[in-house]
Amino acid sequence: MHVVIINGSPRVQKFSNTDKIIQSFVKGLQASGSSYDLYSLSNRKEWDAARASFISHDQIIFALPLFVECVPSIMLEFLETLPTERQQPAQMSFILHGGFDEGHQLRLCERFLQSLPAQLGCTYGGCLVQGGSFLIRMRDDEKMKKTMTKKLDAYTKMGQSFVSNGNFMTTEACKFTGSEKNPRIAHLLFRLFIKRLVRKKFERYAQQWGCTRPLDDKPYLNSK
Amino acid sequence: MKMKTIVLNTIEEHAISDKISALIKGDDMEVINTSGMKIAHCMGCNLCWLKTPGICAIKDDYEGIIKKLVDAENLWLVSDTRFGFVDWRGKRVMDRIVPMLNMYVEFRDGLERHELRYHPLNFGLLYKGQADQEFLEEWSRRVASNLAGHSLGVYNIRKEGEPCM
Repeated sequence: MHVVIINGSPRVQKFSNTDKIIQSFVKGLQASGSSYDLYSLSNRKEWDAARASFISHDQIIFALPLFVECVPSIMLEFLETLPTERQQPAQMSFILHGGFDEGHQLRLCERFLQSLPAQLGCTYGGCLVQGGSFLIRMRDDEKMKKTMTKKLDAYTKMGQSFVSNGNFMTTEACKFTGSEKNPRIAHLLFRLFIKRLVRKKFERYAQQWGCTRPLDDKPYLNSK
Repeated sequence: MKMKTIVLNTIEEHAISDKISALIKGDDMEVINTSGMKIAHCMGCNLCWLKTPGICAIKDDYEGIIKKLVDAENLWLVSDTRFGFVDWRGKRVMDRIVPMLNMYVEFRDGLERHELRYHPLNFGLLYKGQADQEFLEEWSRRVASNLAGHSLGVYNIRKEGEPCM
């Protein structure tokens, strides 16, 4: 199987969480004897080649982060440049991820993605949905590094599964999402303990980025 | 107290302004036509959350929009549609709204959400063309929930003589 993978994130490849997910996923593809081409929409110079590959291949995966409850605008722009009919049949599948860990937050975008292939003359090959990806970029301590390595390794397994099943329409892919919402007890624990720790973590992280203002700064208040 | 309403019109048609004023009512309303403006896609760099809180790294015409949103209570998007959803021009002005929130997280409406940097914003949508009304209503509700406001509704701008459905 040869898979065309298009990274729909606008973030430059070097810092793209989507790219890290893809890199883990393709390890699984390769381990199962498949090959791939990868294009990143953050680089406009790759758009023509991505479109040409989309037209000439039959296994296409778009990988993307959730942006304001749906597909990032840059990916919507690219989709508009694709032909709506095609000569060769093809299957479009998706890897959708987002910062927050609740599956529920990604479901509306998933619904949009389900409707998309038919509008581009393709069939739908399912959508691999998982949240909690914000921390992929924040692998600064050992514990977090371990958690994230485990998360990314799971994508490698899904790469293998994609090759053996031909799509993401499997029980395994369904289970991959994890929980849809946090239970009430998690809300309570968050308010009592975790919130403060998370705030500290973000503040430390911001410091490393050279941030000199409070994270809840209001720069435009009374700016008139 | 007057409620300030900002309307982001992303449709490149001047004739649309009559329809906007017919469909959206507000004591203090400002329509911003974004089609001639320089607005880039959000590039997801996170600098507006982690390096220069509240300030977008992209220096273009969107900064003026953020400054206006800081004083507004209602935000309307006017957008053309594609693939049953708002098109990329409409989505682009929404993706850039990130500096209105901050990095900190909390639970709101039972879901993990980013804290508001300023105050709640209500959100509504006027769209043109064929789209999935029910899908857009759910999208509008979710967008509003992220901004701790409520959905102002989703309305289709029909051409004269066009059937309702």
